[in-house]
Amino acid sequence: MTAPTQAHDGATGAITRAPRKPAPTAFTVIGLAAVLLITLWAGAGIDFTLAPLIHDLTRGEEVLRQFVPNWSFLGRDAVITASLTTLYMAIISSVIGCAVAMVVALLASKVSAPNAVVYQVAKAVMSAVRSLPDVAYGLLFVAFVGTGALGGMAALIMFNIGVAAKLTAESIDAVDPGPIEAVEAAGGNRIQRAFTAIIPQVAPNYFSYCFYVFELNLRASLVIGVVGGGGIGQTIMTELARFNYDNISAVIVLFIVVVFVLDRVSRAIRRRLT
Amino acid sequence: MTVDTPITPAPAGAGKPARPAPPSKVRKTVGMLLLAAVLLLAFTQVDARWERLPAFITEAPGYVALMTQGVLSNPVVDPNADYWLAAINAMIESIQMAWIGTLIGAAISFPLSFLAASNIAPAPVVFVTRQVLNIIRAIPELILAVAVMMPIFGFGPLAGAIALGVGSVGTLGKLSSEAIESVDTGPIEAVSASGARKMQVLRWAVVPQVLPEIVAFWLYRFEINIRAGAILGALGAGGIGSLLSALFNVRAWDRIGITLVTIIVITIIVDQISARVRSRIIFGDTKVRVMEPAEVH
Amino acid sequence: MIEFRDVSVTYPTGTKGLDGVSLTIPEGEFVVIVGLSGAGKSTLVRSINGLVPITGGSLQVGETDLSGIRRRSLRTLRSDIGMIFQGFNLVTRTSVMNNVLTGRLHSTSSLRSMLGWYSRADKEIAFDALERVGILEKAWVRASQLSGGQQQRVAIARALAQQPRVMLADEPVASLDPPTANAVMRDLQRINRELGITTVVNLHFLDLARRYGDRIIGMRAGKVVFDGTGAQADDAVFERIYGRSLTAEDVAAPGAPARAGTDAGAGTDAGAGADASTETGTGTRDGEPLDDAASTSPGSVQAAGTPRVASTPTDPAATP
Ligand SMILES: Nc1ncnc2c1ncn2[C@@H]1O[C@H](COP(=O)(O)OP(=O)(O)OP(=O)(O)O)[C@@H](O)[C@H]1O
Ligand SMILES: [Mg+2]
Repeated sequence: MTAPTQAHDGATGAITRAPRKPAPTAFTVIGLAAVLLITLWAGAGIDFTLAPLIHDLTRGEEVLRQFVPNWSFLGRDAVITASLTTLYMAIISSVIGCAVAMVVALLASKVSAPNAVVYQVAKAVMSAVRSLPDVAYGLLFVAFVGTGALGGMAALIMFNIGVAAKLTAESIDAVDPGPIEAVEAAGGNRIQRAFTAIIPQVAPNYFSYCFYVFELNLRASLVIGVVGGGGIGQTIMTELARFNYDNISAVIVLFIVVVFVLDRVSRAIRRRLT
Repeated sequence: MTVDTPITPAPAGAGKPARPAPPSKVRKTVGMLLLAAVLLLAFTQVDARWERLPAFITEAPGYVALMTQGVLSNPVVDPNADYWLAAINAMIESIQMAWIGTLIGAAISFPLSFLAASNIAPAPVVFVTRQVLNIIRAIPELILAVAVMMPIFGFGPLAGAIALGVGSVGTLGKLSSEAIESVDTGPIEAVSASGARKMQVLRWAVVPQVLPEIVAFWLYRFEINIRAGAILGALGAGGIGSLLSALFNVRAWDRIGITLVTIIVITIIVDQISARVRSRIIFGDTKVRVMEPAEVH
Repeated sequence: MIEFRDVSVTYPTGTKGLDGVSLTIPEGEFVVIVGLSGAGKSTLVRSINGLVPITGGSLQVGETDLSGIRRRSLRTLRSDIGMIFQGFNLVTRTSVMNNVLTGRLHSTSSLRSMLGWYSRADKEIAFDALERVGILEKAWVRASQLSGGQQQRVAIARALAQQPRVMLADEPVASLDPPTANAVMRDLQRINRELGITTVVNLHFLDLARRYGDRIIGMRAGKVVFDGTGAQADDAVFERIYGRSLTAEDVAAPGAPARAGTDAGAGTDAGAGADASTETGTGTRDGEPLDDAASTSPGSVQAAGTPRVASTPTDPAATP
């Protein structure tokens, strides 16, 4: 990453070069004013107040009492199936999503795009795919194919393409152009250029992104399940409708533990990759 | 995949030196097989009702056509204008929620990131702080909102903003502490050498170096929070998520189309502005592109 | 045979890379191109395989005419031309063998190269190429684990694996220390002699140019200002190519005034440079004014005159 060095160059430069504290730049002044204004506007917009934290802190108590986990709920077949479904959904979606993301990324990087038109189109598609939130995909695909894991996976795949394609395209942008030139000079075609000069260079980053996307999927699958996309999220939603808070809290604790552990494992793998 | 035998008998060559044998492909092959097995298991075991897949291909185009119709119909005539305005208003509420949430996350994560930086804090503190950050990272905003904020704040944009804020602490703290750890030690030594106290060293040697990058992380997280807030909306916290789930409940495809397009356009605009500001903060130039840190989600 | 007829190259930025170059390079010749930084050496070499498209005149390589060439025939042409780069341009994350096999891409289908399935014959060609540059035993080592000289040999092997008729090299030794630079140049020379591959090499180093070039082409501001044998290329000629007389500072590496004994080549140059500086230094052959000498950055001439070994351990300034 170039950012840290850049940032500190600027900062240290300012320290060593400036004899007196320089007047804040127009950018800083305008920026701070803008932040203040936006904050006031946003705060007013959502009726921001921390008063409940003081007045109603106890109000939570009775609700929280209902959240005492009912561990036996976790042993039910339906819950086990739902948990496994979430895991399978995360795996399948990451694999498909990342495979598609690589193709999109190759088209959406100046380095590897066949021509300017394809590049612009791919970039636009990538931005559009990225800009829709995971719930939107969840609602959309559940509406298309009905509730269940199929719609959920479709939603996760779109979400994954958005995340992984952008990261991979940026890695491709930063690739060493030397080998590409060498393959071109050796008479290689575009596909050969991608597979022999570009993909080997971005492979470690790319696989790291794939694992990252898998981590995201575990959490996103909850969101998607809530809107009907199957898996453990859907279970939570059902229990919520029945006000079985004790069951929900058991599932939530299990979920957090599993995500935490898988997160650590995935991170350890990623560290070895790059 | 064929595992090559090491040496091909040289066609005419008697005097050729032996060709070195390729390294063993066992590990790679085993890895591939393992991946294939996991995938196969997932595909066969997942309860996905694959038979719905053809329906997807036959029915989705119809819905897409309905949505397109909504988007393409004259936006200034009466009901349509209201639809667009409703979508824009909902999006604005989402942005407000994300902004406040990001500020809360920034305010909490900033001090924590120093405690999680191994070059600043003592090892036990670093360890504990990091684990706390990791746990927060593992809790989806959704759960924070349902289980923690709802009982106290009731369900609305405020609870949503606070849930987003707490949810951002994990990633922001982690990214910021990594930025702090990669700081140039020169200025730290220089300021320490002048007899400064720890706080002064942080303020004058560390913060100036890392602030641009950390602010850039905040902006990234703001972009993510706009999207992440949508699920809270679907549960009643307001904003675009509430509107979307209401529309999907009644299958108002034309309005869904309008709303999705609004989300895409406004999100892209906000992302663009945010990207410019980030470049300006880090490089002092709006044209240079800053590479996204891999894990802002 | 490579034939330039009044070739010019204008970059999209408006810079003229080549300006009316006419040259004929017969089969099997070993040609060295010298010139100041920015003179157009790279442009000349890269135009031969179409990495830089020509914008005027005509360029014939073998039977192929490069003006307005189509992508497909350009690929065919390139498969006949090996190229070696200053920065080696290897995929350092993968094995030497995979890098060398890149030279076989032109005879491998897209599908096979996607999967990395090269034919047995192609692998044999790759082994042969590695054997020829003496690093056969490194075939399955990761390219990143090799020294600079070894990496450049891999790059030569990659070019050889194309079984080319022409070999281009754009400053192949500029990133190497003097002994390694000589070794790599000897490899190139040997390959040229043994296989009769026409070789065109850009060099920044005068001594190497003289030592290895059958023929030396001097360039300045996109034009050919000298074309002759190594023997003809005396100091006065170099002075003309570089647009100014060489002084002792020009050929001494910065920060290392007393680097005697690092390598013989630099020593010779220092001597030559000193001689040259006593000459007129304002010659205007071909009526070409040389008054832009002052605007030429001395740094570039230093780079041109000496191998970049400023901070080797032999540098007395660097040893306590
Ligand atoms: N891609 C490009 N776009 C625009 N101008 C270029 C490009 N490549 C080279 N030039 C310009 O063309 C001229 C000739 O460049 P060229 O690279 O051929 O010089 P060179 O003799 O190889 O120099 P060096 O010894 O530094 O490699 C220079 O003025 C250079 O700035
Ligand atoms: Mg050059």
